[in-house]
Amino acid sequence: MSSIDLAQIQELKDIMEEAFDDLISTYLTDSEAKLNLLKQAIADQNCSDIAELAHSVKGASANIFAEDLSALCRVVEDAGRAQQLDGLDQNISDIFAEFENVKTQLQQLN
Amino acid sequence: MDERPLNILIADDNQSDRMILSAIVKKMGHQVCQAADGLEAIEQYSKEKPDIILLDVMMPNMNGQQAAVEIKKLAGEDMVPIIFLTSLQDAQDLAACLESGGDDFLSKPYNKIILQAKINACSRMLKMHNTMQQQRDVIQENNEHMRHEQEVARAVYDNVAHSGCLDLPNIKYLLSPFSVFNGDVLLAARRPSGSVHILLGDFTGHGLPAAIGAMPLAEIFYGMTAKGFLMTDILREINAKLKKVLPVGYFCCTCMVNLSFRRENLEVWMGGLPDFALYREADNKVEHIKSRHLPLGVLSSSAFNPETQSFSFKPGDKFYMWSDGIIEARNEEGELFGEDRLFSVFDGKDSEQFFDKIINSVNTFAGESGKDDDTTLLELSMVDETVVGTVDIDLTSGAVTGPTDWHLSYTLRDETLRTFNPLPLMLNILNDVPTLRSISGQLYTLMAELFSNAFEHGVLGLDSKLKSSADGFAQYYQQREAAMANMQGDFVRFEFDLKPKANGIGGQLIITVDDSGKGFDYKNVHNSTEGNLGYSGRGIPLISSLCDSLKYYGCGNKVEVVLSWETQIEE
Repeated sequence: MSSIDLAQIQELKDIMEEAFDDLISTYLTDSEAKLNLLKQAIADQNCSDIAELAHSVKGASANIFAEDLSALCRVVEDAGRAQQLDGLDQNISDIFAEFENVKTQLQQLN
Repeated sequence: MDERPLNILIADDNQSDRMILSAIVKKMGHQVCQAADGLEAIEQYSKEKPDIILLDVMMPNMNGQQAAVEIKKLAGEDMVPIIFLTSLQDAQDLAACLESGGDDFLSKPYNKIILQAKINACSRMLKMHNTMQQQRDVIQENNEHMRHEQEVARAVYDNVAHSGCLDLPNIKYLLSPFSVFNGDVLLAARRPSGSVHILLGDFTGHGLPAAIGAMPLAEIFYGMTAKGFLMTDILREINAKLKKVLPVGYFCCTCMVNLSFRRENLEVWMGGLPDFALYREADNKVEHIKSRHLPLGVLSSSAFNPETQSFSFKPGDKFYMWSDGIIEARNEEGELFGEDRLFSVFDGKDSEQFFDKIINSVNTFAGESGKDDDTTLLELSMVDETVVGTVDIDLTSGAVTGPTDWHLSYTLRDETLRTFNPLPLMLNILNDVPTLRSISGQLYTLMAELFSNAFEHGVLGLDSKLKSSADGFAQYYQQREAAMANMQGDFVRFEFDLKPKANGIGGQLIITVDDSGKGFDYKNVHNSTEGNLGYSGRGIPLISSLCDSLKYYGCGNKVEVVLSWETQIEE
């Protein structure tokens, strides 16, 4: 099963034209940095940082049609907002695993 | 789809999101500026003045909602549509976005078609708003322009309409316009003979359309009064003018009065106005004076009737005029003030209080309900002529220098004598001589006496003694009508001869009047009337007092009057 909606990403590629590569690398760099911060925030049990960072990656991922990754981030965002941090270690490793899938697929698009 | 490219601010903390949005917006042909958080968004708004803002809700350093509030504050009257970028799903959160000033939402993942449609919708809204704002500004500008014009027009109007002598000590008045311009006109002027003309006019409607008719009315009133025309001539002229200039259905309800101090008489012409009040001090009673005519500007000149009512008017008597704004003042229940309430004011004893009492009772009655028409009230009291003083002559009109050396012979024959008053015409000619203009009041009296002597006593052979009793007065006029009908080959001739003095300072006017009458025994009259200053005499002492010399010739049907003066004509 694909981590990215391929039909939609093709449309985005048409819109972005030559800026598409730039978009992908910006997304990957940005999101990777934010996911690392998110991991740290979970370790620190900093609920508001958790919610904000997860929210940001959730939105950015939705926009490049990485729907599963976006959904995983949403769970963490909701947990951060609800201050229910139990089991988030598992979630963050799921997120990193899915991020790797997304990254691979995006890079294959080029 | 939009002819003018818009400047669109994209505020989102995710760079990749900004890249996608900016690609879509640029594809639509618009320009883009960017911000990465709320504070930056405000900064960019001030700097770039974007037309539309795409604003992420959750951003570091001030979130989207706070930024929206600030931006809307900065925008003031300008419209800045804000589209919130959100993945929020909760209805409460979405509502909070609209509360903070958002106009629409766009949810993630961004859909190109929807975003474009929303930007176009905002653009339409923006256009509509700008059009509205421009139109509002145009209206505001026009309104200011119009108000300015009205103020200028008002100043001209006031100069024309209110240049009279309403400030005489025997006049109290109240002019309370409903709008900038007053549809009520109140004019007062002294005739050269010293009597006072007053005109109250109530034009159809109020405001500018009503006031505009007042201009020709006032011009005619002041111009003709100053030249010594009679009230009936003035009314005829005003009626003809208004009939010509006013649109159909517009007219002027008018009351004009002539107050003669010397004859203690009030002559009234009223058309289309409610009853006025004539208060007589002797019996402390009030008489209703009724309109007997249609308003001015209704009838053609041939159908117009200038006939006046004449009342004895003794010192202490008062005449009250008002526009229907007084009678038609309404209280909160919509009830009219009415004539009964108005006339009940005169039940009091103290006639000095009537004027204030009328105003107070109308104001008390109408209370806070406000007025819906122009309101005008005037009180005219009979006083001794010394109270109002002599006539001020307006030296500013006409040429500063005038003719100084001329001769004029003017012969009035039967038909002219029957129908025409030659005094205004002759006075007009004499008034061209600056020094004479300054004594035009006396000159008028002199000319009137000379003409009356030559015509009524000379040509018509009427006996002035008849005028001293009330019965005689009527008889006098009967005889006058009969004698006028019998005139044949009669005439009155005026000759004027004006010469400058030999030294160049001052001049001399010789007026010679002769008539076709039998003359009179002037030697006898001249000696016996020194002490008789009665108005109805042959007026000889009055004339003598104004002249250097007065001489009768022949059988007494030719008189020569010499006036001379030493004043230098001022340049």
